[in-house]
Amino acid sequence: MLEIKNLHVSVGDKAILKGLTLSIQPGQVHAIMGPNGSGKSTLSYVLAGRAGYDITEGSILYDGEDLAAMPPEARAAKGVFLAMQYPVEIPGVTTMTFLKTALNSQRRQRGETDIDAIGVLKLVRAKAKTLNVSEEMLKRALNVGFSGGEKKRLEILQMAIFEPKLAVLDETDSGLDIDALKLVAEGVNALRSPERAMLVITHYQRLLDYIVPDRIHVLAKGRIVAEGGKELALELEAKGYDQFVKEPA
Amino acid sequence: MTAIAERRAEARTIFEGHGLPTRRVEEWKYSDLKSALGEAGLGEATAYARLLGRLPEGVDYCDLANPKPWAAAHFGALQFGGGARNAVSEASLAFAEGGLALRVPAGLAITEPLMLETGGAGHLRLLLVVEAGAALTLYESTDTAGPRNAGFEIVLGEGAHLAHVRLARPVETVQVEEIAISLAARARYDGHFASFGGKLARAELAIALEGEGAQAHLSGVSVLGESAHADVTTHVIHRKGNTQSTQLFKHVAGGKARAVYQGKVTVAKGADGADSRQTAKALLLSETAEADLKPELEIFAEDVKCAHGAAIGDLDAEQIFYLRSRGIPEDHARALLLYAFLEEALNPIANEDLCAAVRAGVQTALRGLL
Repeated sequence: MLEIKNLHVSVGDKAILKGLTLSIQPGQVHAIMGPNGSGKSTLSYVLAGRAGYDITEGSILYDGEDLAAMPPEARAAKGVFLAMQYPVEIPGVTTMTFLKTALNSQRRQRGETDIDAIGVLKLVRAKAKTLNVSEEMLKRALNVGFSGGEKKRLEILQMAIFEPKLAVLDETDSGLDIDALKLVAEGVNALRSPERAMLVITHYQRLLDYIVPDRIHVLAKGRIVAEGGKELALELEAKGYDQFVKEPA
Repeated sequence: MTAIAERRAEARTIFEGHGLPTRRVEEWKYSDLKSALGEAGLGEATAYARLLGRLPEGVDYCDLANPKPWAAAHFGALQFGGGARNAVSEASLAFAEGGLALRVPAGLAITEPLMLETGGAGHLRLLLVVEAGAALTLYESTDTAGPRNAGFEIVLGEGAHLAHVRLARPVETVQVEEIAISLAARARYDGHFASFGGKLARAELAIALEGEGAQAHLSGVSVLGESAHADVTTHVIHRKGNTQSTQLFKHVAGGKARAVYQGKVTVAKGADGADSRQTAKALLLSETAEADLKPELEIFAEDVKCAHGAAIGDLDAEQIFYLRSRGIPEDHARALLLYAFLEEALNPIANEDLCAAVRAGVQTALRGLL
């Protein structure tokens, strides 16, 4: 589903990713772990298509297509979803209006018909309930005045509504207490399916206790430096990232 | 000679003495009326105001050429903005033949909006008297003719309430409207202004809070493209204690458009406990668009609360990316964010139908900008 080969990415003059290779199949959950500054967020933004991240070498194929050639909205319509570390506040646009606009924008690009306001309301309400997103939150301006936990829950709610084929979760655990973390993880686990791939990006092993990955990749200095099964997370927790970050003597 | 004829003759003398304002006159610094009008100037023709739909039951009216006593008592009496005598409002008084006067009798609360349209080229005079304890919603729209110079006097009695929604259509000519409003004790004026610009389009408000506890709440938007110009100039004077005023104006300008907001708030000696807030913001969508936002405060009283602020910016790239990453195409995302920016200044329009009419105008104008 996702084939990243020898990916080099620069932000301005600074090289951040320096030859990253990664492959994810449908149904799999992969985790990327790495210290601050290793390029984790850069990877998530490159996948979502944020401006200012220049691919200088390598390729990203998504379902056989060149992902980098698509504008962000086309990626979303084709099933790529990024749950952001810092969801943006948008005063003046209610959460419900945003969800309806986004859902129908994706559908239109796929040649599907719009879902009417009542249909969207029903769909959103059903999914919101399980994630403990209140009616009141849906009426408020998007992310404005939301707590950290509320913002993250809303990201996962969007994932549940849009039903992406590839979901990238960027530091979804940051800023969450243990109860909020469990709720978010349950929401994510409920969306695991044989057709859907997930890439969970995190600094800490804690999230992976709840969202258990099939494969873990360690990212350091812009490259994958180690790979393994879920037990790799525990090793990292015990020994830290130093073994990968230190310059060879 | 009647008192009104004398007042009109005086207005003519004042206008001829001052002539049209140039950019050297501070209040007209960002709106070059003289150049916009060219050789022809404002002329001496008479423009008109007409009712859209019917006159709500209970509203009294007359022609200013043949005023009833209540109209004669107020006509030409109010102080417009711009110092001693405002030459532009003097011109409308001097040259407009007749004009429309409306009165809501004391204690009468009218829920059905009174719908007006100003039209034609030349000068125009309007007078509205809302007597003590009466209430009215006034919708005022403009046709596309011009150049036009309207002078509008509004008198609100004790405890009277006027909601005024003014929608200025996009025009290619010059349209200027000078509005002077006097509020007695506990009267309330809610003014909402939407402008889509013109060669020169200006609404100037001079609001005098003459009675204890009077309130004026102003909000407005302008959406301007190409070489459109729109100017909102306000002068709110707090003359008595415990008076309140709020102002929130938001502008979006693209192309080579120019948005102007000049807002002056004066708290006169003795108006203790006055409360005033003033905010103006503009989003510029191109390098060549311009916004001139100038809030000003003059305070001569004690224990007053006054706040003012102005900000000019561009759409937020983070917000655009967030919306696009959720599947919303870029032009749609930009339109959504522009609308969201203006929302706060549209929301205060209490009458749902009028609010919907203004929102529709704003959406059309935004589509033209993208």
